[in-house]
Amino acid sequence: MSYVLSLLILVPLLGSGVTFALSSLGGGRRTAPNVAAAFALATLLVAGYVFWSVYSHTPTLGAYALTEDHPWITLPGFGVDIALGLDGLSAPLVLVSSIVGVLSILSSRTLIDKREPAYYSLLLLALASVMGAFTSLNLIVFYLFWELTLIPMFFLIGVWGGDRRKYAALKFIIFTFAGSAVMLLGFLALYFGVSTSTFDIPSLAGRIPAGLQYLPLLAVFVGCAVELPVFPFHGWQPDAYEQAPAPVNALLSGILPKFAGYAVIRIALGLFPQAAYQYAWAFIIVAIFSMFYGAVVALLQSDLKRMFAYTSISHMGFVLLGAFATVLSGNPLGIEGAILLMFTHALATGSLFTLSGFVEKQSGTRKIPLLGGMGQRVPLTAALLAVASSAAMGIPPFASFLAELLVISGGISAYASTAITVLVPVITGGYFLWMLKRVVIDPAPPATDTARPAEDLSSADATVVALYLVPLVVLTAFSFLILSPAAPVAQWTANLIHGGLHA
Amino acid sequence: MADYIIFAVVALSAAALGVPFLQYRGRRGNLPGYLLLVALIAALASVILNAATGSTSSAPFGTLLASDSLGNLFAILTLFVTLFVAAASLTLVPSGRSSNTPFYYSLLSFAALGMLLISYSVDLLMLFVAWELMSIPTYALAGFQKSKEESNEAAVKYAVLGALSSAIILYAISLTYGLTGTTNIGAAAASLGSQLTDPVAGLAVLLFIVGFGFKMSIVPFHMWAPDAYEGAPTPIAALFAAGTKKAGFVAAIRVVLAISTVYSLTPQGGLFTIPNVLAVLALATMTLGNLAALTQKSMTRLLAYSSIAQAGYILIGFVVYSYAQGNPPFAQQAEIGMTGALFHIINHSVMKGAAFLGAGLVILKLGSGSVEAFNGLGRRMPVTAFAMAISFLALAGVPPLSGFWSKLLLFTSVLNTPFAWLAVGGVLNSALSMGYYGWAIKRMYLDEPDGETTRIEEPTSFAVLLGVLVALIIAFGLFPGPVISFARDAVPALAGH
Repeated sequence: MSYVLSLLILVPLLGSGVTFALSSLGGGRRTAPNVAAAFALATLLVAGYVFWSVYSHTPTLGAYALTEDHPWITLPGFGVDIALGLDGLSAPLVLVSSIVGVLSILSSRTLIDKREPAYYSLLLLALASVMGAFTSLNLIVFYLFWELTLIPMFFLIGVWGGDRRKYAALKFIIFTFAGSAVMLLGFLALYFGVSTSTFDIPSLAGRIPAGLQYLPLLAVFVGCAVELPVFPFHGWQPDAYEQAPAPVNALLSGILPKFAGYAVIRIALGLFPQAAYQYAWAFIIVAIFSMFYGAVVALLQSDLKRMFAYTSISHMGFVLLGAFATVLSGNPLGIEGAILLMFTHALATGSLFTLSGFVEKQSGTRKIPLLGGMGQRVPLTAALLAVASSAAMGIPPFASFLAELLVISGGISAYASTAITVLVPVITGGYFLWMLKRVVIDPAPPATDTARPAEDLSSADATVVALYLVPLVVLTAFSFLILSPAAPVAQWTANLIHGGLHA
Repeated sequence: MADYIIFAVVALSAAALGVPFLQYRGRRGNLPGYLLLVALIAALASVILNAATGSTSSAPFGTLLASDSLGNLFAILTLFVTLFVAAASLTLVPSGRSSNTPFYYSLLSFAALGMLLISYSVDLLMLFVAWELMSIPTYALAGFQKSKEESNEAAVKYAVLGALSSAIILYAISLTYGLTGTTNIGAAAASLGSQLTDPVAGLAVLLFIVGFGFKMSIVPFHMWAPDAYEGAPTPIAALFAAGTKKAGFVAAIRVVLAISTVYSLTPQGGLFTIPNVLAVLALATMTLGNLAALTQKSMTRLLAYSSIAQAGYILIGFVVYSYAQGNPPFAQQAEIGMTGALFHIINHSVMKGAAFLGAGLVILKLGSGSVEAFNGLGRRMPVTAFAMAISFLALAGVPPLSGFWSKLLLFTSVLNTPFAWLAVGGVLNSALSMGYYGWAIKRMYLDEPDGETTRIEEPTSFAVLLGVLVALIIAFGLFPGPVISFARDAVPALAGH
């Protein structure tokens, strides 16, 4: 048994401790960003290694390329193991989380200027829990890491956020805690419901009687719906996204919703396939509604961050659509697209939110009507904003395009009428271009602060934003890096209902 | 040399009876407190030895006390709590020339003795005597701040309602004796089980639930608690939440759960069964506790209501256990549920201990217990704020802290029984409780202090106390195995197993 998966969690955890310890020493404020970046980079190296291991591993349906098992509570009648495992679903998420982790820490250098040691420590703690959540193969451990991510996020929003940060932080913690608590209920119901009396995901798969699948599926879905979020469980999200500091947004909007996407595929579909199959139509309706709702509401926003937040709601609808379309049709394209979309969305959203932070720093506001003329005043920022918007819109050569294509194709193989979702990228393109026109091309409103000359991005900051976008271009050419490990997972999930049909 | 319990009793009695003499020698200060600490450590050591050696000797108490693992668990817990309360009182209770510290620590010692004896009692009369030995000193302790009007009011309210509950328990005991001719709990329970046709048996069980429910502060017998917690000196509030409340639980486990073989409270059976009654009380207790906590303006009242809510979670284990008494296939669930209840009782004492002691220090230093006083506390009193934040998170059930595991066991046990709705209620209540726990944490860490922002000195000894409690919360969360198995060993066997 190797310990490389534990390392994935322990490296950022250790980093969190070391960074915090710095605060008690002199000079912590200056060294903290470097120390944190070093630990995040180390995490990225480990993540790259485990991703490569999964990629190069001969795929077997339903098998994990890397596994670890550390007994934690072993009592007669009650046991919880820290079971970790990595496959084509979790490996891309682990990789993208560590990329976002590194870039978010790098972009914090410019954007965060108070109580640095505590800030970076919490950021690394969140990263460690994210790694734990994506690698857990035990329901309780998964829940534990999921929860453990919320606590540092609460403080990151509440201490380093915008003017209404306290309200946003409290709303965030109450909503997400309630959602995940309901999800936990679904997990607990399985313990005495299934004869094996275990919380181990691989052991539970295929053993849950159909009758016991419905309520737990609903419970898990509620937890995911709050986290994604999908309409109508999204009340916390625009506030939290708006108030969080920009580098934290990259994690909050780029990674946290992926918990839910991951849980939907791994748990909702993997453990409750019959119930998911039966009610897939309902989830698909929720997904499509969410896609349109997010896109239309984003159109109406006048704040950059709120606009990006609703874009996120819209994109997460795609993930849900792809996942349930596969269950219904047995066509693995939906889940493959969902996995790729989760990867690309994390990076595209990360770059957009980071840019919104820089824009605010330069111009003193994020309000679209107050901004303008960025093309002349801050050409580099404007150019990056245009490029990042293209990535979010799903324009080639960004892999987001490919992901949306896969999901929509998957959707059509379930219900032809879901073809209507091709309108979502159209609306998305529309409001992004409109935003760009107002912010970049139109002259700034006269006699406002934003008309003043401003300092453009430093080359270091511009590089950070560019680094978010480079993998997206690379992936268009090398999409098999994500799709080939994802395929067996998608196929295995599809086979749960449609065994042998496409195998 | 196996009579460890008698040693603990002697140590506490000596402290209780000896310490007041210091009053007449003019030694008011903190000396009585230190003497009590010595007695408590001696008593704690002897019950730990009793548990470690697995001694079953209860001489010279004969059949009045049983030295079993359930008793050991509660004896260790209540003595541990009293130890922390006494240690915190050294800082929190004024010890000047006009103070009555010798009496304070003597009363505390009597209460500890009462709780110790309740833990081991297996005879109704012994239980009642121990119950009074615990209760009467706490009436005086609740009103210890003589010059404070609310304190007096709270003490009177508590004493009157407490006396009422004692009378109810005594009445239940007399009914039980009348029906069965014995005061031994085991024999009485077995005998009551064969008297299902007699409605008086059901009445006796109900009266026991009401009487013990008062100390457990379960809704609707909780009215005294918020006033008493707020009016009493804060360490005494900690004693109520973490100590005497737990004595109420052990009494209920010994008596009500043993008798729950009776199962149905009326001869015709039907809906009026012990698990049904307990389930309704559990849901009412957790829901009303949490809702009321959301609206509180004073930290001690908030903690009092949160304490009420936590009793509701603990009752879930009681529900499953009493249900399994009549439904043997649920024996495994009952064991997990009762383990969870006992584990949560332990956790709740530690978590609430930390929260109350922290609040006590804030009240002492800032002169106010209103929630506004906690604004910006993270900067002004970092150790206290951290301890309270950790205990709040644990109380809300955030992993990987101790409260998470005990709630997990409780909810797991009740799903897949007819009482699954209790788990739903419990989980929704946990989410609701984040409304005030998160809000309190927000005040401490996100809000700016009102007025002064200077750092306030936190006494080292007090910081150590809080540190130990926080360490326990985290350790029980990261390594719950040993504690769970300790709790599990204490689960009384189901009837017929």
